[in-house]
Amino acid sequence: MTVRYMVFAARNVKKLFRKVAVLSVLFLWSCRSGETHTGEDRHAADTVYVLPWEQLEVYMNAAPSPVQVATWLRQERVPFYKDMLHDPTLAGRYSGLQGAANLGIYLTDMAYAHATNHYQEAYEYLSAVNRLATLYGLGDIFSLERIKSLDKLQDNPDSMQKLLTQYYSEVQTRLSETGQQPMLRHMILGGWTESLHIILALLEKNASNQPLAEMILLQKGLTPLLIKLYSADTSLSPVSHQIVTQLEDMQEELNALPIGEGSPVPSTQVNKGVIQMKFQQKTSLTPEQIKRLKERLTSLRHFIMKV
Amino acid sequence: MKPLGYYLVLAGIVWAQSTCRQIVPICREKYMEDFSWDGRYWKAELYNGETTEIYYTFFRGLRYRLIPCGRSTTQAFPHLRIYNANRALVLDTRQQGDRSYWDLELSNTQLLIIELYYPTGEGCAALLIGHRSGETPEGWSAR
Repeated sequence: MTVRYMVFAARNVKKLFRKVAVLSVLFLWSCRSGETHTGEDRHAADTVYVLPWEQLEVYMNAAPSPVQVATWLRQERVPFYKDMLHDPTLAGRYSGLQGAANLGIYLTDMAYAHATNHYQEAYEYLSAVNRLATLYGLGDIFSLERIKSLDKLQDNPDSMQKLLTQYYSEVQTRLSETGQQPMLRHMILGGWTESLHIILALLEKNASNQPLAEMILLQKGLTPLLIKLYSADTSLSPVSHQIVTQLEDMQEELNALPIGEGSPVPSTQVNKGVIQMKFQQKTSLTPEQIKRLKERLTSLRHFIMKV
Repeated sequence: MKPLGYYLVLAGIVWAQSTCRQIVPICREKYMEDFSWDGRYWKAELYNGETTEIYYTFFRGLRYRLIPCGRSTTQAFPHLRIYNANRALVLDTRQQGDRSYWDLELSNTQLLIIELYYPTGEGCAALLIGHRSGETPEGWSAR
C-alpha cells in the first residue's frame, strides 16, 4: 500500500494528512518489524510503507532522464561501445524493485544505442525494455506497433528522439499515477547509474574529453540529492540502506575531485526572452581519478544488476 | 454520517488538485511548441510568499524552454530565481518583466536550482521544462 501526498488547498488539511501518514508509517512498520530479510527478498517490492513523495519528488527530478543524456551524447558525437553495456538477455530474470532499476538501465542503453545510430543494438534493448515494462503495466508504451514506428524513423534522429522522450514521459506518468513511485525511484536510480557508467567508460577511453569530465563533476551536486532520495526510508528498507551506503562512497570520491578552474557564477545575458549563461570553468580529470570513480560506481551498478 | 465540514474540505481538496493539474496540459499545449517535454513537471500551492524549488540538470548544446505556469490571486505571473549549484543567484526573471516562457542556453552542462514564486498574491504554480537541439551561440567555443 502506498499513500501519495498531494497538493492541497488548505495548509491545515495538509498537516492533518501528514499526521495520518506518520501514524500509518508507524503502524505498518510495527507490522513489518517481525519480518526477516533473506538474500532472496533483498529486492522484493518495498511498497508496504509510506514515503513522503511530495518532498522526494524534488530530488527525483534532479537527475537527467536517459533520453536527455542520450540527446546530449549525440550532440557530443561520442562513439558506441557495446561491450560496456548491460546484457539485454538477462531482462527476464528481473522483477520487483530490481526490475524497475534494470528497466532504467536498459532504457539508458537503448537511448545511447539510438543516439549513436546503432539501431540493431537499440532494438535488442527495446526488447529487454518491453519485457520488463509489462511487469509494471507499461507494456503498451513499448508495444510492437510503437517499436515499428521507431524503426520507420531511423533516418530522422530528431523525430526518433522526440518519440523516445514521449515514451519516457508516459512511463513516468503511468508509474506515478498507478501508485508505483518506489518503482519510479528505482528506475531513475538505474538510469542515473547507467548514464554515469557510460560517461566514465567513454572517459576511460578519452580522458581529455572536457564536456564528459564536466558531466562527472556535476555529480558533486547531484549525488547528495540521490542520497536524500533514498535516505527517507533506510530504516525501513535494507535495499535503500545499501544504496545510500554505495552512494555515500561515490560522494566521498567525488568530493576528492578538484573544483573546476574559474568562476562558478556565469555571465548572463537576456535578450527577447532568451537567457544565455556563459560559464568560464575548465574541468579535467586524470585517468586515476576516472578509475577510482568507476570502481565505486561499478559496485552500485553490480548491486542493481546482480541476478 | 460524516459532518458537512468533512465534505466541504474534501471538495476543496479535489477542486485545488484539479485546478493545479489542469494548468499543466494548457501551458504545454500553448507554449511547448517544437520542444520535447520529458513528462516531468513541478507544481505547488504557494501561500504567503512561499516558493518551491526545482533541481534540474541542463546540458550544454541544448536549448531549454522554461514555462512557469499559473496566475496568482492578484493575476501576477509566476517568476523564477535561478541559482547555480552553490546557491549563488544567477538570475531573477522578475527583473526582465513578465513572460509566458523563457528559453535558456548554457555554455557548460550545469545543475541549476530554480525557485518558482509569485511576486504578489498566492495560488497554484507549475513549471514545465522542454528541450531541443540547440546551436552554439556566437562566441562560445565548440569544443
